[in-house]
Formats: sequence, structure tokens, C-alpha cells
Amino acid sequence: MESLLFISTFIQHVNYFLLGILPTAVIDFLPVAEKFIWCGFAAVGFAVLFNVPARTLVFIGILGGLGGFTKFFLIRFGVSDVFAPFCGSAVIGLLSIPFAHYKHAPPPVFYIPALIPMIPGVFAYRMMLGMIKLVGNTQPADYEQVLQSTINNGLKVLFIILGLSVGAVIPMLVTRRDSVKDLKTSIFFDRRDD
Amino acid sequence: MPSNLFVLEVNKTHPEAKELCTLLLRIGTLLMTSGSNTERIRKTIQRISTSFDYKAELVINHRSVLLSLENENGDQVYTSLKRTGQHGVNFRILSGISRMSWTVIEEHWTVDQINEELDRLQALPHFPRIAVLLFVSLAGASFCRVAGGLIPDMIFAFIATFAGLFVRQELVKRLFNTYLCVFFAAFAATLVAGMGYKLGIADPGNHGFVTSVLFLIPGVPLINSFSDLIDGNIQTGIIRGINSLIYSFAIALGLLASMFIYQM
Repeated sequence: MESLLFISTFIQHVNYFLLGILPTAVIDFLPVAEKFIWCGFAAVGFAVLFNVPARTLVFIGILGGLGGFTKFFLIRFGVSDVFAPFCGSAVIGLLSIPFAHYKHAPPPVFYIPALIPMIPGVFAYRMMLGMIKLVGNTQPADYEQVLQSTINNGLKVLFIILGLSVGAVIPMLVTRRDSVKDLKTSIFFDRRDD
Repeated sequence: MPSNLFVLEVNKTHPEAKELCTLLLRIGTLLMTSGSNTERIRKTIQRISTSFDYKAELVINHRSVLLSLENENGDQVYTSLKRTGQHGVNFRILSGISRMSWTVIEEHWTVDQINEELDRLQALPHFPRIAVLLFVSLAGASFCRVAGGLIPDMIFAFIATFAGLFVRQELVKRLFNTYLCVFFAAFAATLVAGMGYKLGIADPGNHGFVTSVLFLIPGVPLINSFSDLIDGNIQTGIIRGINSLIYSFAIALGLLASMFIYQM
């Protein structure tokens, strides 16, 4: 307990110190940049759970971080909760192809673990709580309000997940190829003769 | 002569087609259980069958694969059906088979060579159990941080995820029903996470409770479901979607059970 308290006060002091020396634009930006690290860790955790080839782990972390960063960066500038994750997953889908060529593993190995940090767990939780309230509550006074928020959260969950999976396959849909092997990425990486 | 008898008659005269069909079905069911989408299974099998100068027609279901081989004259020479094993995501097999399917065409591998490679892929080691537990727990703590948690919340999310995943692994080892495993894992994780609130260390407003079960979300069936629907494989898409819905229900039930215990 005491060591916990000590750690959190220590971090607070570091925060105050940083607030003193950094320009405001950077301080505004720090919470968004921090998401890069945590989304990356979450992606790597799921990659380990899905037993990916060890050579791809670092790249999945980078992809997950970039996707989460894009999402929170856009939300910071007022983009909607549904469109921001879609853009994040489009970034992941596009970058998964050069990584797939570079590390010789199919793109789903990269984009599925990287997408998972963006799955809207908190919205799903709120929707579920709302549904429980709707089952137990027959009072007309706040029924409508609960119904409204439940449907709102549920639709957000549905459309965010739909957007995530569409965003990740955008390169395939746009280029109309059968396999990413046919897509040229030699601008980024030296391809083996394949 | 009845048509099915004709097929059986032809089956006997093409031993190499039988071997190839068994191999392709093995590849198809392996891909299906290790978390590939339907279009990828179809493409991989057709790619390998063209290397042997056969044409493959497929029916792919969630729990079975039906394959029919045609030779270059257009005769249907062999048809067979195989049931898939227990589903469990394993991207190492997915990646290995994908790489292999291109080498098969380039180097004209024989059926025996492919079978050996599949044996090797299936024997590949998983990550050590403790590494899986630690990395997934770190992912749980990261989820908590992304949702706005502070350090005490993150620590409880870490411990809760660790406990939940441990329970799940133990139950899977004892061959419990898959959904029951998820239910008990969610229950264990939220029991630990709720302890943080009862002890007054974690803050209920910071979503530590819900982020401790996020490691159970059926990410692969969910994303594969939508990508199947986009590809036009509506049937498998719906099946995967409903499967992930049942998983989510199991998670919700586990969460509810501990919310009932803690009177939240």
C-alpha cells in the first residue's frame, strides 16, 4: 500500500516537473502519444496469446501502437467515435502488407492482434449494464433514457467493429488482388524473389 | 449404374487423387481450426491443387470441409469430407501453411513432402506458459490504462487478468465446455478486480472491472466473421458471428455473477 502510494506521488512529481519545462503544445500531445505504448503492449499480449511466429512480435507491437495512436489523435481533434477507429484500422491494414512481405507471414497475422486494442470494450460493457437495467426496470420515468443510452452504445459497438474489419481489408478491396504477394512494396523493402 | 457407385468406382482407380484429397482436407481443417478466414482456406487449397494439375471444388463449414477433385479432363475423380478438430487460434500454423503453399508451386513438392512439413508445423512449440500469462496480463493492464486507469487500477487489472487466464488454461486442459471455460475465467478475473474496489485501492470510475475481462473477447472469430461477410461467404460469416456472440454472453454472465456477489 505505502509503496504504491509512494510510486504514484513520485509520478505526480515527475509530471509537475515536466509541466514546468515542456511547451504547452507538447503537454497537450503527451496523453495521446502515451496511448502508442499501451496499445502496442496490448497488441503484443494478444499476439502471444494467438501464438504468432516470434519474428513478427515487434512489428505487431508497432502496428497496434500506430493504430491506437491514429485513433486517439483523431478523437483528440473531434472525429467521431466510429470513424476514428476505422481510420486507425486502415493504417494497420495498409502497413500490414509491407510488414507481411518483410517478415514472410500473411497479413492477418499482423492485423488481427493489432486491431484488438481498438475493440470497444467499455461501450460493450455500458450496453450490457443498460440491458440489465432494462430487464429489471419497469418505471416509465427513466425507462426511455436508459433505452436510449443502451441502443446508442450497442450501435456504436456494432459499427466500430464493422469499421475495424473493413478498414483492415481496405488494401485488398481497393487493389482487387487475390493475394498480397502480387502487391509491389519494393519502395519500402527489398523483396526476395517471390 | 447409380451415380454414387460410379464415384466409388472411380475413387479406386485414382490412388494419387485420394492421397492428395486427404492432404488438402488436412490443410483445410488445420487452417479452419487455427483461425483463418474462409477465402484464405479456399485460395490456399486451390493453389496447392493446381500444382498437382487437379481442380478443387470446396464446401467450407465451421466444423467440416467437403472437397471434390477434378482431373484435367474434367472428370470428378475423388470426393471426401473431413470434420475439423477443436478450434484454437494458432497463427504459427497459419503463417507456416501460407509460406509453404508458395514453395509447393515453385519447387513442385510431393504429397509426402507436404505431409512432413505439416507434421513439423504442428509440432512447433507454443510460447512458454508463464510468458503467455505475463504478456496477456500486461495487455490487460494496458487496456486499463487506455480506458483511463491509474497505477493501482492497472495493478489490479494485471493480477485479475493473470488469475482469469490461469483459470481458463486449467479448465481448457480438463476439456470443459469452451463457453463454460470463458464464463469461469471472466468470473475469476472480475472477482479479483472487484477486490480492488472492496479494499478501497482501485477507483470504480476507471474501468478496471471491465478491462480485466477484455483478454477473453473473441477477437479472431469477430474479425473473421465480418471479413467473411465482406467476401460473400455469408454462411460461415453468420456462424462465426453467432459463435462470438455466445462467447460475449459467457463473459457478460461471469461479470454479472461477481457484480452480484459484490453488490455493485
